[in-house]
Amino acid sequence: MEDTQAVAALVERCLGGDAAAWEEIVRQYHRRIYSVSYRFAGSAEDAEDLTQEVFIKMYRTLKSYDVSKGAFITWVTTIARNLLVDHFRRSKHDRMTDSLESAPSGDQDALTLGEQLPDLGPSPDAGVQTQETQRAVHHALQRLSPELREAVILRDLQDMEYREIAQVLRVPEGTVKSRINRGRAELARHLSRTYKQVS
Amino acid sequence: MHGGHEGEMDCTRFEALLSEALDGTLSGRTLAGFQAHAAACPDCGPMLVAVRAGMSWLKALPEAEPPRNLVRNILIATSGAEVARPATSASPWRDRLREWTQPLAPVFSAISHPRFALSLGMAFFSVTVLLNAAGLHLTSLRTADLRPSAIQENLARTYNETTARAVKYYENIRLVYEIESRVQEIRNATREEDRQEQRKKEPEKPRDRKYRDDNTSGRPDQKQERYSRRDEPVVLAGSSLDSAANPMCNRRDA
Repeated sequence: MEDTQAVAALVERCLGGDAAAWEEIVRQYHRRIYSVSYRFAGSAEDAEDLTQEVFIKMYRTLKSYDVSKGAFITWVTTIARNLLVDHFRRSKHDRMTDSLESAPSGDQDALTLGEQLPDLGPSPDAGVQTQETQRAVHHALQRLSPELREAVILRDLQDMEYREIAQVLRVPEGTVKSRINRGRAELARHLSRTYKQVS
Repeated sequence: MHGGHEGEMDCTRFEALLSEALDGTLSGRTLAGFQAHAAACPDCGPMLVAVRAGMSWLKALPEAEPPRNLVRNILIATSGAEVARPATSASPWRDRLREWTQPLAPVFSAISHPRFALSLGMAFFSVTVLLNAAGLHLTSLRTADLRPSAIQENLARTYNETTARAVKYYENIRLVYEIESRVQEIRNATREEDRQEQRKKEPEKPRDRKYRDDNTSGRPDQKQERYSRRDEPVVLAGSSLDSAANPMCNRRDA
């Protein structure tokens, strides 16, 4: 958790023209922004460009940050999220994503979710150790719809509170929880399919 | 939908508590009701398994490693400043310089772009070439040289000098060619006179005889012919010219 007073002082120094303060902000948050961008956009090149865009926007709009309205990290994540959504719309990577609500086709009609999940392949705890498995999870993440993807990234990869995520996404907490659960379940379903195809 | 009985949990309630259950924040009767519903409901039980599995996959993903130069690139793109180094930050005059140039940071950031820098370099090169052509040297430039009349005068002088140099060069080349052509003419005339004199002295031989003399392919080699001659006296190797000292020579002569 960030120290609100320390961050506020840092922002204040930065607004006063202290280049070292700005460098400290960049050093403190670039890793987090890059990670969110990489997991959302899917490619390292896009993530690098998006991270730079986020910081350029931060630099220009730093005056608009209000300490009383929320944590600095929430403000930064909101900027990042908005740019990621813009990027998603621009790049037209809108792929067909099947959710839990959509009816599975073909033979899968006969299988309930419970029947599919025991064949998950390697267990999550052991399997993610390998790079191949990490890549499979990363690809499965890209197959989620942007709404579900951003929710699970903020919760499971960035460890943000439901309240903060609701603030970033501008939706109620209940919707956040629902999206997170649907995203997790859908990711597991994609991975179970992947490992079925491999085996 | 399950959970229609009184006191039991229904699917909507189960789904609402799913996140808290996975976060481990449920307790008491709520937790017991949640677990009972998961065990009994054919939809919610597998859903719990799937959501838990997805969460485990995601939690195990490591944080993506950013590129090494990302911070530097961000700083250049935003404040236009290079990454601060301890040695440089210690010098006060550099800090002061940075303060002065801070408002111009976006301009420097744009200029530092490779494409812009290349264009700037080409423009500088062109200006330098033009200045040289105009006879203006930056090292010895004075205020008086920047007057339009002075520039015009310099341009005219440079033009005249260049033209004179070109004409002189052309003239030199022309003179050399003329001398060469004269020498060649003299040589040709001399050769022609020599040939005529030679023709007068030696009458021309018939062409077929000359051909016969030149053609030696049908005749034996003269060297071999000479080796087979027997009309010359045999001279033994190591023999002296004095015949008295050599009995073999004496016998043959006899």
